[in-house]
Amino acid sequence: MDMFSLLDMSGRALTAQRQRAEVVTANMANAETTRTPEGGPYVRKHVVFQTDNPAMFGAALHSAIERNVRGVHVAAVVPDTTPAVKRFDPGHPDADAQGYVSFPAINPVEEMVDLMSAVRSYQLNASAVQATKTMIQQSLEILK
Amino acid sequence: MNSIQGLPLSNVDLTGSRSSAAQPADSKDGFGAMLRDAVSQIDQAQGTAQTKINEVIQGNGSDLHTAMIAVEKADLSFQMMLQVRNKIVAAYQEISRMNF
Repeated sequence: MDMFSLLDMSGRALTAQRQRAEVVTANMANAETTRTPEGGPYVRKHVVFQTDNPAMFGAALHSAIERNVRGVHVAAVVPDTTPAVKRFDPGHPDADAQGYVSFPAINPVEEMVDLMSAVRSYQLNASAVQATKTMIQQSLEILK
Repeated sequence: MNSIQGLPLSNVDLTGSRSSAAQPADSKDGFGAMLRDAVSQIDQAQGTAQTKINEVIQGNGSDLHTAMIAVEKADLSFQMMLQVRNKIVAAYQEISRMNF
């Protein structure tokens, strides 16, 4: 594993965290959405992280280290299984026959914490990029 | 773009057993060919960086950090090439100053 593949690994982690932030932001934006093209209220989404499959990057010739040290990617975005929250609001255009409106089961505080976590993880991996860069520059200093 | 390892440093014959400098016509092994190979690889890295930046500006779904990392890679490859070039030129000047 050379220094540049270290940068690639951090890059894939950054991509994964950005996608997570995207999904969390969509959840926050749709916290009160009662209509979707599929019908019914918006359903909260989760991201599933998975370690990279070495075969994805043509790793047939790679060393044992490279087979065991793996990056991360978003494997899937799955819907939450929590049922929608029913609120009594007979005047609402999306109210059912009993006067109840289905709202997505989204807690804005939870989403905010998720977003902060994604931002921190992004920061962490950006620091890893900086560290790798410093290491490469240090090795170039040897020649000076 | 491969890696720093891809630089054709193995072409440098430090023992001097092969007098490649005495045969400028043999461009495959020569000092110039080695530098040319290195420069073309750096050029490729910079081309990749430029493509990525264009993708970000045009909104083709490329991530900003991917572009930044590509630029960093190009920069580090360039610095590597520069250091090696400085070293080689210093060695060349050292030899040219030699008294016979």
